[in-house]
Amino acid sequence: MVNLRFIGRQMSGAKSQCSVFVLCVALSMITLVSLGSFRQSVESSLLRDARSLHAADIIIHAHAEPPAPLQSAVADLERGGEIKSARFWEFYSVVQKEGGEDSLLSNLKVVEPGYPFYGKVLLASGRPFREQLTPGSLIVDQALLDRLRIGVGDKLRVGQATLTVRDVLLQEPDRPVNFFALGPRVFVSAADREALGLTGRGSRVDHVTLIKVKAPKDLRKTAAVLRAAAGDSRVRVETYRNAGSRVKRFFDNLLFFLNLSGIFTLLLSGFGIQSTLFALLKEQERTIAVMKALGARSRFIIGHFLGVTLILGFIGTMIGLAGSLALQSFLPTLFSGLIPAQVTLKVSPFAVAQGMLIGLLVVLLFTALPLYRLKEVKPRAIFGKEESGSIWNRATWIIAGAGALFFLSMVLIRLRDLKTGLYFMLALTLLILAAYLLARLTLRMLRGREPESLPLRQALKGLFRPHNASLSIIVTLSAALAVIFSITLVEKNLDASFIDSFPPGAPNVFFIDIQPGQKEEFARMLGPGAGHYPIVRGTVSAVNGTPIDPEQERRSRGDNLGREFNLTYRDRLLSDERLISGASLFRGDSPETQVSVLDTVVKMRKMKVGDTITFRIQGVPVTARISSVRTRTSGGLTPYFYFVFPQAVLSDAPHTVFSAARIEKERISDLQNRIVARFPNVSVIDLTETVTVFGRIMARLSTIVRFFTSFSIAAGVLIVVSSIFATRHARIREAVFFTMLGAKKRFVFVVFAAENLLLGLASGIIALFISQVGSLIICRRALDMSYHPYLGESLLLVLATTLLVMLVGLAISIPILRQKPVVFLREQTDE
Amino acid sequence: MTILQTRGVAKNYRIGNREIKVLDEISLEVARGEFLVVKGESGSGKSTLLTILSGLDRPDQGRVFIEDLDITDLNEDALAPLRNTTFGFVFQSFHLVPSLTALENVMFPAELRGDPDARGKAEALLGRTGLAARMSNFPHQLSGGEKQRCAICRALINDPRIIFADEPTGNLDSINGAAVLQLLLELQRERGTTLILVTHSPEIAQSADRVVTLKDGRVVSDQTNG
Repeated sequence: MVNLRFIGRQMSGAKSQCSVFVLCVALSMITLVSLGSFRQSVESSLLRDARSLHAADIIIHAHAEPPAPLQSAVADLERGGEIKSARFWEFYSVVQKEGGEDSLLSNLKVVEPGYPFYGKVLLASGRPFREQLTPGSLIVDQALLDRLRIGVGDKLRVGQATLTVRDVLLQEPDRPVNFFALGPRVFVSAADREALGLTGRGSRVDHVTLIKVKAPKDLRKTAAVLRAAAGDSRVRVETYRNAGSRVKRFFDNLLFFLNLSGIFTLLLSGFGIQSTLFALLKEQERTIAVMKALGARSRFIIGHFLGVTLILGFIGTMIGLAGSLALQSFLPTLFSGLIPAQVTLKVSPFAVAQGMLIGLLVVLLFTALPLYRLKEVKPRAIFGKEESGSIWNRATWIIAGAGALFFLSMVLIRLRDLKTGLYFMLALTLLILAAYLLARLTLRMLRGREPESLPLRQALKGLFRPHNASLSIIVTLSAALAVIFSITLVEKNLDASFIDSFPPGAPNVFFIDIQPGQKEEFARMLGPGAGHYPIVRGTVSAVNGTPIDPEQERRSRGDNLGREFNLTYRDRLLSDERLISGASLFRGDSPETQVSVLDTVVKMRKMKVGDTITFRIQGVPVTARISSVRTRTSGGLTPYFYFVFPQAVLSDAPHTVFSAARIEKERISDLQNRIVARFPNVSVIDLTETVTVFGRIMARLSTIVRFFTSFSIAAGVLIVVSSIFATRHARIREAVFFTMLGAKKRFVFVVFAAENLLLGLASGIIALFISQVGSLIICRRALDMSYHPYLGESLLLVLATTLLVMLVGLAISIPILRQKPVVFLREQTDE
Repeated sequence: MTILQTRGVAKNYRIGNREIKVLDEISLEVARGEFLVVKGESGSGKSTLLTILSGLDRPDQGRVFIEDLDITDLNEDALAPLRNTTFGFVFQSFHLVPSLTALENVMFPAELRGDPDARGKAEALLGRTGLAARMSNFPHQLSGGEKQRCAICRALINDPRIIFADEPTGNLDSINGAAVLQLLLELQRERGTTLILVTHSPEIAQSADRVVTLKDGRVVSDQTNG
């Protein structure tokens, strides 16, 4: 028989603990529902209509003119009425105002009629795209008009042609977000392609053929025919169903990191739920003992307390849902610049349902152990003579195992990547283990201390107060803080490596697509000190005879061997290179074709000096033996090449030249204008501007990740609050004793403040240590860049943490400080 | 010479709508060095009287004086020095700080006062009361009698002028209770401390210099033992 009055009394008699329980559930709900809704919003607004996202049914993507058999296959299918096709060419080039004053690196898209087959290109005039993009005209981003201070109707020099701005671009279906681009978009009609003179052989151009199939059922068959016609060239033939959209990859990666932090928050919230329930049930121990003495069975008691947790869980869920709704109004600000304005972020019913299910499972999982342990309460606990046994019995291990499995499943489902999921769980386990061991060490070091100051001494004793959760507070807080500190440190190091510091003398302007015949004049224009590097485009087709599967390679998260590479040739090391394997760059005594590889390549696929790599260079297979492995001695944006051949191997191959120079900032614009006037095919990339844009995006992304990770800090703080509530009777007792023995209020205040200060300081320092080690590993190993510890900023983080814990602890303790001794004594006497 | 005086002290408690008169116009004088027992049945108001005499609670009416100092309206911080050096407390439930050892519990009031010899005094007191071997034990490691002896040492370390004891043997068996009481009285006599002890036990009352009996919040008897 359910005794609702009992359930109600339990809740009303432990309001503080119940509130913390509810808040922990609410926090987990906010995290689950917000992230789930964000994913749903992005997928439904941006990614659901995959056809629009690719503007076609089939997409053929190449870095050069597609091979003749493929072009014939397309023409045949089109003649047979089975498909329609439209090509476009995408590349960077500097466009210039007529008259030659200003110029700007822009992202050009030269399109044939027919583009796009799906989705619409929206223009400011409201007119149809096909009507506006006529030969001789341009359609441009507003950003270009603003930067060059021109308007519709003005002329622009693009390559060797002068064209008129006809309209302003508002939205492009296959590029819903544009923060990847190094320059604003410019649409050009395919009829003007030849006149531009920018898509010749050797130019860095993406050649894309869009296909619309007449009968959707023929999609796969048609794609297979075209794939067969492409042969073993590196031309990608994909359907809208399996094509990798850059936008989708970006959001997948962003959600990947957000989901990681969400799972971490969920875990900490779970610990908060568990510790709160443990504390609540501990307070009720005598009551439970009396009930058992009166004949109540464990089943009855556990059932009723389960009822309490479910009701509290439900309340927390409702509050969490309300919080998620409130958060939706803030998310557009948080994500502004990263998602198009037309995407509406809203709470998704599916995300709500999923969140409620997962929330329920988390509540059940984390309350299982405290509820199970109610079985062990014996009636003799009435006399306060119970000694709690070891917490690590069979039931604990089973429940802990179930919890680990649940979280592993959550990680795998949300991250959709087994290997990464296992690495994440391993990293999380190591993080918590490290925090635990360091916390134990810290407490052991503090235990024997006898400082001169009496309040400090009492504060230290307070850390070891019976049932005090000092260890779990420090572990939870330091683990959560370590994550936030690490994000901050890695971001600062990324800023330093790529954004803030350009080593003096390092090149800050890159010039690409210089033709060999232009090199000498170009070099004279740049002056001495500029570096000039020949570039031959090629792909890797096999390592040690084992073929590379480009599709498989492209699925890996980092850089991979499935893409096209910029090969180069020279016979010496660059000034910021050194050998880590091999006696010299190339062996003078070897008749074989040799290649030197950068250590980054060795990380993509295990290889060593003596192994062979087969390349495909301009359609010709070239097998080379690895002669040496190089590493860079500086990070940052200086030119480097994964594969370097001896001069004799590639000097006769068709190539372009890539130059890099250090130019004073005030000269860059003028130089760019002169170069584009003289060499319209050359693209000029101002790195300082690029890294500024990159830096802004990085800052926005890390703000987003830190925002969601801060929920885990909130979970840690809730655990602090819960622990203080759990020990409030002991604290009241101590405060009363101190007062009775002649201590003033200030003394008691200082003791509690010092205790919280010690907890915060210990947590902060442990978090700092873990984050410094973790960030060092991430920067050196994963990101392959130098590491700086930023001790000043780190100490500020520790200070902020300490203050936070101290203030929260004191705020909760104030009612305790106000407790009058006589009230406590009277309650003791009544007992 | 009078060390403690009350004039017309009254105290009421409100429970729901009911106003319960716990003390009804009590006027008392306690002489320096006197052993006074306040006796009465459960609910007679004796513990409430003790809390008012010791400044732990305020009366609703009347005044309380400690050596001519009116402590009735003093705030907590003003009462703190009195609690530290003038008063000592011994309670039925011992009320030792669980996170401090026996020695640390006894030292604490002296450390609060800034006494450089706190440790020495505490060790001497604990030795005197047979707890030399238990100095580094925590309260949960002590028996009831040991806890109460420790509490007595703590009450005496600053040489207070008045000790307030509320049913000090209430949680002890008869043998331990008798031993603790004997110890308390010995130390009280050695130091000439005024002892105000609340009990419902007639046996304990017999050893007092004076017995004040309360009933329904009033003094019904005030007898000096011969």
